[in-house]
Amino acid sequence: ARFHGNRRSGRWEPVGSRPPLAAMFADRTAAGAAVESLWRSARSARCEAKSCQTGKISTAETAVQSHTSRDAGVQTDQSKDAVQDFQQEVQVDYASLLSFLQRVEDAVIKELNKNWESRAFDGFEVNWTDQNETVLCLHTLSYPEAQDQNLQVTSVSWNATGSVVACSYGRLDGGDWSTEKSYVCTWNLDRRGLNPQRPDLVVDVPSSVMCLAFHPSQPSLLAGGLFSGELVVWDTSRTEDPVIWRTGMTDDTHTDPVYQVNWLPDAKHRNHNRLLSVSTDGKILMWREERDGRLALAEGFAVVAQQVPRSAQLKKFTWGEAAVGVTSLSFSHFDPRVFVVGVEGGYSLKCSMAAETLALHRTGSSVPLRAPAELAFSPQGGPVYSVSCSPFHRQVLNLFLSCGTDGQVHLHSMLQTQPLLSLQLSKKYLFCVRWSPVRPLVFAAASGEGNCNRCFWFTGDVHLFDFEKSSQKPALSIKQAAGEHPVYCVEFNTKQTRLLAAGDAAGAVRVWQLSSDFTEQGPREMNHLEQLASEITD
Amino acid sequence: AEVEETLKRIQAHKGVIATMVINAEGIPIRTTLDNSTTVQYAGLLHQLTMKARSTVRDIDPQNDLTFLRIKSKKHEIMIAPDKEYLLIVIQNPCE
Repeated sequence: ARFHGNRRSGRWEPVGSRPPLAAMFADRTAAGAAVESLWRSARSARCEAKSCQTGKISTAETAVQSHTSRDAGVQTDQSKDAVQDFQQEVQVDYASLLSFLQRVEDAVIKELNKNWESRAFDGFEVNWTDQNETVLCLHTLSYPEAQDQNLQVTSVSWNATGSVVACSYGRLDGGDWSTEKSYVCTWNLDRRGLNPQRPDLVVDVPSSVMCLAFHPSQPSLLAGGLFSGELVVWDTSRTEDPVIWRTGMTDDTHTDPVYQVNWLPDAKHRNHNRLLSVSTDGKILMWREERDGRLALAEGFAVVAQQVPRSAQLKKFTWGEAAVGVTSLSFSHFDPRVFVVGVEGGYSLKCSMAAETLALHRTGSSVPLRAPAELAFSPQGGPVYSVSCSPFHRQVLNLFLSCGTDGQVHLHSMLQTQPLLSLQLSKKYLFCVRWSPVRPLVFAAASGEGNCNRCFWFTGDVHLFDFEKSSQKPALSIKQAAGEHPVYCVEFNTKQTRLLAAGDAAGAVRVWQLSSDFTEQGPREMNHLEQLASEITD
Repeated sequence: AEVEETLKRIQAHKGVIATMVINAEGIPIRTTLDNSTTVQYAGLLHQLTMKARSTVRDIDPQNDLTFLRIKSKKHEIMIAPDKEYLLIVIQNPCE
């Protein structure tokens, strides 16, 4: 029943159920009132059609801007020299060539011999560039909002072109499951209006980011590993939503924080790259990009205590099938299938991607996990936090460094379990160690934290070691910040080789410019390195 | 034939990394390196040799260039010039 206004009584009754005694409600539809539209006719009564148009503009061609032309000059001249083309058929007169060679051969052989025996130039070095003796702090970059939340810099990374540095904020000392938001910030150091307090790009991440890695050839891709075990890849050139790939929380994802993420070139498909992530749940997983923005598991390895190859020097670990927490990874530069990992148990393992044996691991992942370990190196006094393979060494004696909480750096050769050299750099924990990309004898280590009852003679937090100067103590120790703030990460810039970035617990990233003796390769450094390695082995 | 023998003898000498022969126009005729590197060396060293020769003759018109040696941090380049050809040998001494 529809309500009709203006009724004398207020009762609702359907029509026809009662005799129509009193005034009843009834449904009615009244014909609407229609009003004819008058405006058109009224209008047309008053209007008249008129035409309006601009009159034809008369034009005549009188002059054009340029009607004569002349060839004055072209930018590139025909080169007068013949084009250097090796494929070009060159008329060679063998007779004259032979006589030429016969004439000069003796002279050349004589010079070659003289050169071989000459000692005239030994130790002779020329300085072409200004010798910069000091180490300067070029920039101190920070993100004030992150510092206010007492977040620490957990990782730094330089991009493929060497002009952008990215850092991740998070907490390295948070023991429990934290859902703290964190940030990833990037600064472009070559821009003119660089404001150290305002990063060029800030990405909000819902969980703590523990590690970062820029893509080795695409300057805008950045991968990060989170506290929740996920991996995310950001494209820093996209402003709206930089996330392009993520693993999400699936059965394959790590169950512990991801401590290191690396890009690998995929040997089969040149364009696609794969990501490798390492976590304390013992798994080393390789991810590949899927089209829908997901990262899917391609291959995986699990390090289980029972499958670690034992040598006589290692203590017996009675963990059985327990997973061995992996904290760091480094690829060998000469054999792309060989890599070294550092574990929480305090030793490093040499692993191979070609390993076939399956891991004794609780199943649950979509791809069968394999046991990669081939050789276990002798342990240090505490968990190993960082390993780094030398980019210089030849296949014969592959060298790598490992550092851990015992404040020591061990120089290992991949061929033997005992370290070639153990250096006690600090009483504090060492968080990160990296070889220099230009000088085969130099490496940097980041330290901080730990019980330090008395002052040691290394006051600094970033130590630069040069085997050429001394194999006992650091060539240079740089104090990162006032106060006891540990430095968690250090990275060399491979393109601008004088720069070194270090991130500390106070939430600042310092970009240091190294003096030229750390960046210029000496004449016989490779020989020196090999000599050093071989004399220690004996 | 004999040309190859001679070049092989030079190449086999202690410490020699590469050997090249280029003609008077700077076009490589024989080389032990890859194409792009050879072309680069040929162009640059040909110009340098011409410059060196004109330097020697400008100082003393009776004099002439007989041999050119460039010593760098990593190795030494030796150039034997001639009217029609140039022999370039790159050696890494004391290796």
